[in-house]
Amino acid sequence: MTTSTPTLTIPPPMAELRPRLPDSVATLQARSPYAAVLLSAREGISISVEAREEEISQMPRSVGTVLSVFDGETLNEKSLPGFDGDRLMAASRELAGSLPKGRGSGRVETVPPRDFATTGAVPLESLALEDKLERCRDLQRRLAAADPRVVNAQVSYLEYDESSVYRSRDADLSQRVLRGRLSVFVVLSQNGETRYDWLSKGDTGDWQPLDYSDADLHEVVQGAARLFSAERIEPAEYVVVSGPGVSGVLCHESFGHGVETDLFPKERARAFDYIGRQVGSPLVNIIDDPSLPGCYSSYFFDDEGMLSRPATIVEHGVFLRGISDMASAQRLGIERTANGRRQDYTRKPYARMSNTYFGPGSTSMEEILAQVDRGIYLDQWVNGMEDPQGWGIQITCHYGQEIRNGKITDRTFAPVSISGYVPDVLGTIRAASPTVMMDQGTCGKGHKEYVRNSSGGPSLLLRTTLG
Amino acid sequence: MAEPLDRAVEELTARKELLGWTVTHRRVRGEQLFADRQRVEARRSIESDQLILDALCTSDGASEPPGCGAASATVTAGEDPGPAIEFAIAAARRTRNQPYSLPSPAPLPDVDLADPVLQADLSGALRSLHERLDACASRDPAARLTLAEWFAEAEETHLVNSQGIDARQSRTELSLEWIVLAGQGQERVETLIDLDRRRLADLDVEAEWEEIARQTADRHSAGAAPMYTGPVVLRGNALRTFLNSGPFQTLGSGRSRFSKLSPWEPGHSIFRGEVRGDPLTVWATRVIPYGKHASRFDEEGLAGQRVLLVDQNVFRSYSASQRYATYLSVPATGSFGDIEVPPGSASVADLIAEPHVEVITWSDFSPEPTIGDFAAEIRLGYHVENGRRRPFSGGLLVGNLFDALADVRWSAETGFFGSYLGPTTARFASLQVTPSRAT
Repeated sequence: MTTSTPTLTIPPPMAELRPRLPDSVATLQARSPYAAVLLSAREGISISVEAREEEISQMPRSVGTVLSVFDGETLNEKSLPGFDGDRLMAASRELAGSLPKGRGSGRVETVPPRDFATTGAVPLESLALEDKLERCRDLQRRLAAADPRVVNAQVSYLEYDESSVYRSRDADLSQRVLRGRLSVFVVLSQNGETRYDWLSKGDTGDWQPLDYSDADLHEVVQGAARLFSAERIEPAEYVVVSGPGVSGVLCHESFGHGVETDLFPKERARAFDYIGRQVGSPLVNIIDDPSLPGCYSSYFFDDEGMLSRPATIVEHGVFLRGISDMASAQRLGIERTANGRRQDYTRKPYARMSNTYFGPGSTSMEEILAQVDRGIYLDQWVNGMEDPQGWGIQITCHYGQEIRNGKITDRTFAPVSISGYVPDVLGTIRAASPTVMMDQGTCGKGHKEYVRNSSGGPSLLLRTTLG
Repeated sequence: MAEPLDRAVEELTARKELLGWTVTHRRVRGEQLFADRQRVEARRSIESDQLILDALCTSDGASEPPGCGAASATVTAGEDPGPAIEFAIAAARRTRNQPYSLPSPAPLPDVDLADPVLQADLSGALRSLHERLDACASRDPAARLTLAEWFAEAEETHLVNSQGIDARQSRTELSLEWIVLAGQGQERVETLIDLDRRRLADLDVEAEWEEIARQTADRHSAGAAPMYTGPVVLRGNALRTFLNSGPFQTLGSGRSRFSKLSPWEPGHSIFRGEVRGDPLTVWATRVIPYGKHASRFDEEGLAGQRVLLVDQNVFRSYSASQRYATYLSVPATGSFGDIEVPPGSASVADLIAEPHVEVITWSDFSPEPTIGDFAAEIRLGYHVENGRRRPFSGGLLVGNLFDALADVRWSAETGFFGSYLGPTTARFASLQVTPSRAT
């Protein structure tokens, strides 16, 4: 993501309140070693076009201010709607007054502000709403015409506009991040039955990566069509070639959730016992990088004011470090990473992933498939669930395709669940392709605290249990 | 509370190009408490105060019949609603849809949604609940509470629309997540419980602790999943999860029908084969007292109803917004709500007397929403035979939701489980459990 002379700026109400934030921080800082104020605006638009309906809406907005104080053990926060200066100061005094005396310095440094914003070859903000609607309509018409069995073709565009200002004793940061996600969803009907498939593309800042080729649309239609003849898979262990999407979810659920360091002090992560130890084949490299240019879950600083930078989690199969928020890093005495994220201003920060992926390998896809006499190709994932304690993985895929004698066939199984023990699965990885591709999604911690997320990787050759 | 909404109503009323509009003023205040077994780690208080504006107007451009478009925008209460209104109208005019209108006033149900004790003192309520949990945990040497997160909210909603709806409701919500450990090192296991209730009286902290502590102890001693095909019993929260997993909500939705995703038609069986068990009846209801999805009115203003979705195996009514009700020429029922199933005829004792597998929790139970196929990893189950109840962990429960419901027996005993009201126990004649972990 470029940071030179951004054209996007934070919303005017945030900009107007920003000069008053040092006073708020100073009030809080007088009673606490750490104090910060976060202004957070999460908003956006959604466009949906299908055969007989169209809709444009503003997505539900979450706009507010968070006052935070942390004494090294307890975090106290107050979240207010909007950006009202008088209300901010009153809340600051109230929160400070609720704390024990004499724990803070009250000193706030004058620091140069740093401002960041996303941009791109075709910046998302450069396209008018009408233009985005027309592009969705065009895509919908193309998809609807792709096959006579299509009974509905839906195109949806989601654009997330996320702005934040972070002020603490020694940091004054602002960012505005636009994320776009363009998805196609097709419903086919045949002999009274319906089947569906989808494809999604996302980026931070740029419309250009969201374009769909005719080949893309053909593949989505074929994905749905295969499901008419899909079988249930016999539960067993299989040789699996995972496409980038499934590789990404595997990475996300194993050494993403499994190494969120807020789990470590709670004895909730098996990985804690494996720091510095081999946890997978030497081909396994796992990185979390919120600074990855254009990636769907990138940001310039996290919700606790930590500037973004990559964190290598696993290197050549050895587990190096987790990803952290401020509180758990402080409690564990470890170096922080830029992974302290909130769902929005009404929720607490936790250690959360950003863009998490397997590093590339050097074996071409053709060479990978050539090693498979019988196996399953999986790429269209639906969801995954973490199990950091048991170190298990559960991933549900919409379908999988048989690999026979090095070729992906038309024989389809649906749905397909991946279930396994993390070290076992990672230990079986014996090839990785050279190209890393990233997917987009939403990640929860359990069934709550949802944040934008991206995962990916190369294609991998491995063994695991499918059902 | 009146002023921000009044200003938006005044501005929308003045816009004669609108076919209709809705303004919803929603205020939420909340308290949150986060703790581990040693101490409270964080406390938070939150507020949100928003207006949600919905505009319906004629689409731009000539067409016969004229199309219409709808769009919504949100503004923080107290801000000028003008720009949001401009956006909503401009966006609505750009889209083209078959015409429909907004709901008209109708009698609203008197359904209990708010706990006055909770409303009066959210923070105190959480403190008290956590003290009770702490007391339970401190008495139990084997089960270690490692995480307790509590969320309490009080919400006030006022909705007004151009058709004359003027409705208010108050709701409370109490959510919790607990994680309990047993064992040490490589033998360590955990159990997670997350619950949503509206009323303090519906949360028995001591009973829930006893249950989660027992489950955790059993997970600690659990063996591998059996290879098994046969009767499977689901009870309580597991049954709630099973029924609320998505297929009923998707296939019974008017929107899904209109977009050709759902093949369900009124008057036809929802099952693809013979029904051998108890006939199935399901209501989609927003009038269960203190139900998780209960409401006097939904986001459109449609009154809460108890909709007969499935009657003796036959699909009867879609859950439909005003828009899709118009498109499908069916009654408008509003949002889906909670699930209710009538009592069965068998006693729980009878249903669990014969050998079976009982599933307590899954890693994640997400059937394919339009077919119902599932393969879900079991976090804790029991294999019950010869008078023994052997815990296991890690198998996959494999099957199809509707095939399972075509051969089920329901208990006469009923219970309330947040988003489900109905039999406490269901015995499915035949589902498959397979071992899932490579060794």
